[in-house]
Amino acid sequence: MLLSTIALYFYVRNLLESEIEEELYSTKARIENSLKNDTILYALPPVIEIKRTANIGIEKLKDTIIYDPSQNEMEEFRELATYSEINGTYYSIKVRALVVETRNILMAIILSYFIIIFFVFVFLFYFNKAGNQKLWLPFFTNLGEIKQFSLESEKPIHLVDSSILEFSELNTVILTLTQKVNADYRNLKQFTEDVSHELQTPLAIIQAKIENIINSNNLNATQYEHLTSIQKDIQRLTQLNKRLSLLTKLENRQFTNPEELYLNSVIKERIDNFKELFSTKIELVEQGQVRLKMDPYLLDILCDNLISNALRHSVASCSVKVTIDPNGITVMNPGDEALRHPEKLFTRFYGEAISKKSMGLGLAIVQKICDLYRFLPTYTFEDKQHIFKIRFQIGQTE
Amino acid sequence: MKILIAEDEIALQQSIVTYLEGDGNVCEVAANFGEAHYKVDLYEYDIIILDVNLVTGSGLEILKILKETRSSAGVIIISANNSLQDKLEGLDLGADDYLTKPFHLAELNSRIKAVLRRGTFGGNETIKFNEITIDTKSKTAYINDLHKPLTRKEYDLLLFFITNKGRVLSKEIIAEHLWGDHSDLIDNYDFIYVHINNLRKKLTEAGAKYIKTAYGSGYKFIAD
Repeated sequence: MLLSTIALYFYVRNLLESEIEEELYSTKARIENSLKNDTILYALPPVIEIKRTANIGIEKLKDTIIYDPSQNEMEEFRELATYSEINGTYYSIKVRALVVETRNILMAIILSYFIIIFFVFVFLFYFNKAGNQKLWLPFFTNLGEIKQFSLESEKPIHLVDSSILEFSELNTVILTLTQKVNADYRNLKQFTEDVSHELQTPLAIIQAKIENIINSNNLNATQYEHLTSIQKDIQRLTQLNKRLSLLTKLENRQFTNPEELYLNSVIKERIDNFKELFSTKIELVEQGQVRLKMDPYLLDILCDNLISNALRHSVASCSVKVTIDPNGITVMNPGDEALRHPEKLFTRFYGEAISKKSMGLGLAIVQKICDLYRFLPTYTFEDKQHIFKIRFQIGQTE
Repeated sequence: MKILIAEDEIALQQSIVTYLEGDGNVCEVAANFGEAHYKVDLYEYDIIILDVNLVTGSGLEILKILKETRSSAGVIIISANNSLQDKLEGLDLGADDYLTKPFHLAELNSRIKAVLRRGTFGGNETIKFNEITIDTKSKTAYINDLHKPLTRKEYDLLLFFITNKGRVLSKEIIAEHLWGDHSDLIDNYDFIYVHINNLRKKLTEAGAKYIKTAYGSGYKFIAD
């Protein structure tokens, strides 16, 4: 752009200059002709000046600045000063022509350039925009579709077809990919379901056989210890299975019989159950009545897991505090220090304290139940207390 | 008692048979749907233990047939599926009880006895073991016709002991019977000792010394 501006400027200037010079020469020739015919010295200052001189000088072409009375300013002129001998008389002839100012040429060029560029820009902008919009429409529709894609919803992805090769290739790849991901996810779920289901029968067999062994023979105390220890492990496997299949069911959203439940009475019942099994005291503070619409089985599990988690991680001499307020439920148990990775707390098989008998699934189940009903579980550590809080969605509580 | 065990896993089926025959029951087995259907059609049973998944068909279908023929047999469903839905479906179809695999044979036995009591005597049976009498309707125990006040857990425990008399019961089995799913939360069994010791004390006071320790940490309810 800049180069072409400069080039154009010089080209135009040269063109104008040579044109002016040509004009000057032709004017000079015309003056000489008219001088040959009659000797009247006419002048048309500042354009033409003719004088009689004594001798002949050299012909000169130069730029000069002269006051132009008609425009009332100093103007740049191109001047041809020449001498000629006509009919024995020497004449000095000065012919001038107004030069177009360099500044003006430059300005004109730049201005016209700008105008052209502006229009081209505006045109191209709208042209491209309209074109691109048409071109990218399927892409953005599909992008929106991909953003909506969720493994849990199991809905297949619907992509808009495009005539553009790259886009249709992209669509094919995305379709294959999502189908694969969906299939893998289904398989994984199916696997967990199958494993936990298929394990039940062999576990039942082992358990039954051990019971028969215990009852059939005269065992010694050590053998009995071994057998009951195996029974305990079967018990653990059974519980693990139960929880895994519960998690799978939660993921599959297989709990669809919500009932109106009074959290306060449910909590009281659960706490009574725990009182028989744990020496740790459970303190209940009711700051309001909470009514929830959810599966009763899941509410029991939610309460049990929260309370048992607190009980499991507290010393018998301390007490666990359960608070119900209109917004949610809080379970607090005293502890020495905050957890190091609270963000992992609600994931599967995460445990910090090497606790006995903890399966590491309780809080993951809490999380899943919360996900299902859009509750918000949080963990904080304040004043040497582990605080687990579940916020119920506004509108579901009173 | 005549019991049919319809279970396709032979190992489990035989284990159940072994346990139940120990109490003097007559056990018959069916390993698939056809066999179970055939036996249910031909014979009368007191109790039918029915696996939901019978390879060639569903145990629930057998249950439907039993209800159509107005069979008087008590039905206990055993299933590998522990979903509430399945449980409710089974009970809705007229099953008397539902057990999820794996289960303790002692638990199965106590459920069988409970179903029998309900079925035969309309929940009015009194159980007798030497000088001990249990009225299952009012949930009270008598020793030598003298009322013995027991807590709810002690009563459950006594009933469990008597229905599984002569068997070794580990504290895990007892805990699971008394507290169900909650028992897995426990990491010490002190509270079991408390209940057992209280019951034992109450029985011993009245001269009924039947709760014996077996192998150091198990229990056995047995007359000398």
